[in-house]
Amino acid sequence: MELQLGLALPTRNMVKGFDLNNHGLDQLKEMGGLEAWNKAAGCFADKDCVKSKRSFEQAFGNFTEECRTKPLLLWSGQPNEEEDHKDQKKATFSTTDENDAEEDDQVVGWPPIKTWRKKIFQQQQQPRVGRAENNRVAENENGRSIYVKVKMEGVAITRKIDIKLYQSYQSLTNSLITMFAKDKKCDEDDYILTYQDKEGDWLIAGDIPW
Amino acid sequence: MEPSELKRSKDSPNSDESTRRSSFPDEVLERVLSLLKTHRDRSSVSLVCKDWYNAERWSRTHVFIGNCYSVSPEIVARRFPKIRSVTLKGKPRFSDFNLVPENWGADIHAWLVVFAAKYPFLEELRLKRMAISDESLEFLAVSFPNFKALSLLSCDGFSTNGLAAIATHCKNLTELDIQENGIDDKGGSWLSCFPESFTSLEVLNFANLSSDINFDALERLVGRCKSMRVLKLNRSVSLEQLQRLLVNAPQLAELGTGSFSEELTFRQYVELESALSNCKNMHTLSGLWDAKGIYLPALYPVCTHLTFLNLSYAALRSDELAKLLAHCPRLKRLWVLDTVEDKGLEAVGLNCPLLEELRVFPADPFDEEIIHGVTEAGFVAVSFGCPRLHYVLYFCRQMTNAAVATIVQNCPDFTHFRLCIMNPGQPDYITNEPMDEAFGAVVKTCTKLQRLSVSGRLTDLTFEYIGRYAKNLETLSVAFAGSSDWGMQCVMGGCSKLRKLEIRDCPFGNAALLSGLEKYESMRSLWMSACNVTMNGCRLLAREMPRLNVEVMKEDGSDDSQADKVYVYRSIAGPRRDAPPSVLTL
Repeated sequence: MELQLGLALPTRNMVKGFDLNNHGLDQLKEMGGLEAWNKAAGCFADKDCVKSKRSFEQAFGNFTEECRTKPLLLWSGQPNEEEDHKDQKKATFSTTDENDAEEDDQVVGWPPIKTWRKKIFQQQQQPRVGRAENNRVAENENGRSIYVKVKMEGVAITRKIDIKLYQSYQSLTNSLITMFAKDKKCDEDDYILTYQDKEGDWLIAGDIPW
Repeated sequence: MEPSELKRSKDSPNSDESTRRSSFPDEVLERVLSLLKTHRDRSSVSLVCKDWYNAERWSRTHVFIGNCYSVSPEIVARRFPKIRSVTLKGKPRFSDFNLVPENWGADIHAWLVVFAAKYPFLEELRLKRMAISDESLEFLAVSFPNFKALSLLSCDGFSTNGLAAIATHCKNLTELDIQENGIDDKGGSWLSCFPESFTSLEVLNFANLSSDINFDALERLVGRCKSMRVLKLNRSVSLEQLQRLLVNAPQLAELGTGSFSEELTFRQYVELESALSNCKNMHTLSGLWDAKGIYLPALYPVCTHLTFLNLSYAALRSDELAKLLAHCPRLKRLWVLDTVEDKGLEAVGLNCPLLEELRVFPADPFDEEIIHGVTEAGFVAVSFGCPRLHYVLYFCRQMTNAAVATIVQNCPDFTHFRLCIMNPGQPDYITNEPMDEAFGAVVKTCTKLQRLSVSGRLTDLTFEYIGRYAKNLETLSVAFAGSSDWGMQCVMGGCSKLRKLEIRDCPFGNAALLSGLEKYESMRSLWMSACNVTMNGCRLLAREMPRLNVEVMKEDGSDDSQADKVYVYRSIAGPRRDAPPSVLTL
């Protein structure tokens, strides 16, 4: 039990002329797009990541809205770059690797979750929830599904789709365009579907049979 | 302890000192003071006069050092000759989130060397965010024959080999508590190092470790340590093994299960339930890794007397949580994952009227696609059902000012309010306004507030509110907030009890930093990273306040004049000599 004993010590008058009235606050900074913050775990204390860490404004500046021919990025996830590099535990969610760091806005140490807890999330198998991350095949009520993450350049939010539902690149691409059309008004022809293979190389989809 | 005696002495500061001394012999004073436990009371007592200072220092057996660099081990040993228990904290808290460079410091070894010489009868060592090597653990194990309790929280630098040394040599060990550490897990053989003659263990927590341990060794250990009251297993221990342990340890007060998901036969399930129901003293339950809903009913007999339930490793759904909580009427502390969603939190409000602490962790913090998790609705629901709530840690993806106002109206006794809206700079999602009024409501209503973490889009107004109203605030965490120096100036000027301030990614610059010039000596520490502070500002601070250590960590490739990460703390030990090259002491 703390008794909270105290002595009356002389207090220094530290606050002089402290005026809480609003006297000319600076303009609120333009915060930019709220959805601008892009997750994708990835490296945190990794040295390279610290280098590419964005300043606040860079991280939350506006995305450009023009439609250009941009790659529609599709990847099935790579092992997470563990911050301590000690053991490559199976990652349960895909990450962008360093190549993608320029497109993604990664914020070091945010949200403020302890390293060991992040590791637990990564180690947790969650077949019960009905999703499988990466290209691990998961048994769930729907039978075997293969979920991959898809990102459209210029859109902050990544989506997940079950590739097993599609029979061809075309049907996949059509579905993806429709899905992303909610976030971005773009013409179908402007987009190319690319994917990242096991070696980490980005390839244009369509060369290999479905 | 007689408060009236203390008061009398305080009330007569002008009395003749010799008269007072003879009417209050040292032995009596020391005896009385030995009953004082908290370090704050003891610190107050030591300031009364020289006699009291001496009496206090001779009677103190436990020392708490909140910043290992604020004092040196030699100074501690000189002042307190009879210490048996030490608590030490090292790195700044943001090191938990990888904002502090590797090899930053906070190494325990120099302390151990002094302790071995001055406190050979040391019994307890509790470390938080310190660096400790296997060599240090071995040194500890052989240097203190009376050593009883080791607790390592968020530490790093050691492996399971160090634990093996502790198990092998510490014959009187009662507590081995390994939590949340950056440990190099080389295997589970360390647990087999406890000798067969060893029976004193009361607390064993190895939930942090992932390797398999030798279950037979564990079973024998638990079987012969009849005083064991805390047992927290790691994930490698199965349900069937858990049942075997519990049969031999029904006296357990705190249990952390291992994996809660293997396939059980009906008979195994019944045996598990029976073993659990025999644990009449159990008040804390954790672990429950990969918990399967169908086995949770085995916990019901334990739930009736549970006061702390930690489900933060179990991704439960709302219905699963609801069913479980219906059996937990006495719950005071609850930790969950946000997989339980708002509906799960409604069940909290309905079933746990005695709840005092709630922590909701995000199961998938880095996946933007997840649109569930918890929202303001869940928090509001809890506040209606749990008026005694005073500690909350809440990770969510949306919040409103109105919701927070309602919450604090329902629960005005908050001492710890840590709200993390996970998208930095996100406003009230309904009104699109900043979240200033939310935190304004918190500080205006919750007069007992000691700790606050803010998030969302915040202007300087939030900090005006904090400076004006949060008069009991001791710890403040700020990220991606504020508009100008004025915000931080409000806090430095208004929060008279502020001890720890940690700021990242805010537009506070040198004027803000220097506004706290006279305040930092009354604080434990200040952290500012990715703000607008420059090297010159830091140099000025260091020059003006020689009793502060001003440390700057530069990042590769950043502007020479910018002070990327600044850590300021008071110290009577002077600048530290063990800083790595990346840390500049000004």
